[in-house]
Amino acid sequence: MSDPEPGTYKVAEVKTAPFDARFPNTNQARYCWQGYIDFHRCTNIRGEDYEPCQYFKHVYRAMCPKSWSDMWDEQRESGTFAGRV
Amino acid sequence: MTGYQPHPWHLVEPSPWPLVGGSAAFTLTVGLVMWFHYNSISLMILGLVMIVATMIQWWRDVIREATFQGCHTSYVLSGLRRGMVLFIVSEVFFFLAFFWAFFHSSLAPTVELGVTWPPVGVHPLNAFAVPLLNTAVLLSSGVTVTWAHHALMEGKRTEAIQSLAITVMLGLYFTGLQAWEYYEAPFTIADSVYGSTFFVATGFHGLHVIIGSTFLMVCLGRQVFYHYTSSHHFGFEAAAWYWHFVDVVWLFLYVCIYWWGS
Repeated sequence: MSDPEPGTYKVAEVKTAPFDARFPNTNQARYCWQGYIDFHRCTNIRGEDYEPCQYFKHVYRAMCPKSWSDMWDEQRESGTFAGRV
Repeated sequence: MTGYQPHPWHLVEPSPWPLVGGSAAFTLTVGLVMWFHYNSISLMILGLVMIVATMIQWWRDVIREATFQGCHTSYVLSGLRRGMVLFIVSEVFFFLAFFWAFFHSSLAPTVELGVTWPPVGVHPLNAFAVPLLNTAVLLSSGVTVTWAHHALMEGKRTEAIQSLAITVMLGLYFTGLQAWEYYEAPFTIADSVYGSTFFVATGFHGLHVIIGSTFLMVCLGRQVFYHYTSSHHFGFEAAAWYWHFVDVVWLFLYVCIYWWGS
C-alpha cells in the first residue's frame, strides 16, 4: 500500500463481528462466550498458526469485555474454566 | 358463653395469643438479626420457643372451641374451609417463586456455569434412586390419608387410627430419607446457583412435610381421644388437604429439579 498523500488521513479499518443468527438477542454475552470457546478449540485442534482460527479470535475480541476474556485466560491456566476447550 | 345465641357465628372471646404471638415474631426477628450479625443464638432460641408455645396454646384453644364448646357451626366451618383454601393457594405461589428461580437459572444457563445444566462440576443426585423411593412414599401416604378419611366418615375408628398412623410413619420415613440424601449429597447450598435453587426449593418442601406430618400427628392424637365424629372433623380434612398439597409440590420438584434438572 502506498503512503497517503500529504495532508490526508489514513483511517484504519475497524470491523466488529458480524450478526450471528444463533445469537439474536440484545444481550450478546453468549456470542462472546462461543467465540472464545471456538477460538481455543480451534487452536487446540489445528495449532496456533492455523489462519482460519483467527476469525473466532476476531469475534470474541469484538464481543467480549476485555475483563471477561482476561478472567477466562486466567481460569484456563489454573484449570477452573467452565467451558470445554 | 351461656344461654341462647340468635346467630350461627363464632364471636371469639379476648385471647392473649395474638399479642403473645406478635411478641414472639418480633423476638424471633431480632433473634435472627443477632444470630446473623453477632453469631449469638440465645434470642433466636427464645423467639422460637415463644412461637411454638403460642402455636400450641392458640390451637389448643381452637380445639376446645371446636370440640367441646360447639362453636364451629356449619357457617363457621364454611369460613374455615375458605381460609384453608386461600392459605394453600398462597403456599402454591410461595413455591412458584422457587420454581421460577430454578427455571430462570436452568433454561438458559449463564457463561459462569459453562452454559450447561447441571453446571460444570456439579454432580446431581440420581433421580431414580432415593428420590424415586421418596415419590413412592409420598404417593402411598396420599392413598393412606384418603383411606383414613373414608374410615373416619364410615365410623371405623380402629381402621382410621391405623391408616392415619401409617400416613404419619410414611411422612417421617420421607423426612428421614431426605435428611440422609442431604447428608450424602456431593454438592452444598454454596455450590453455584444449582445448589442454591436445589436446597432452597427442596428444603422448604421438607419443612412443609415436617409441618404436615405434625398436623397429621395432632389429628391422630385427636382421633385417639375421640375428638372427631363421622361428620364433624374439619381439622383432619384441613390436614389432608395440606398433605395432598405437599405431595403435589414434591411431584413437581421430582419431575423438574431431580429428573429433568439432572
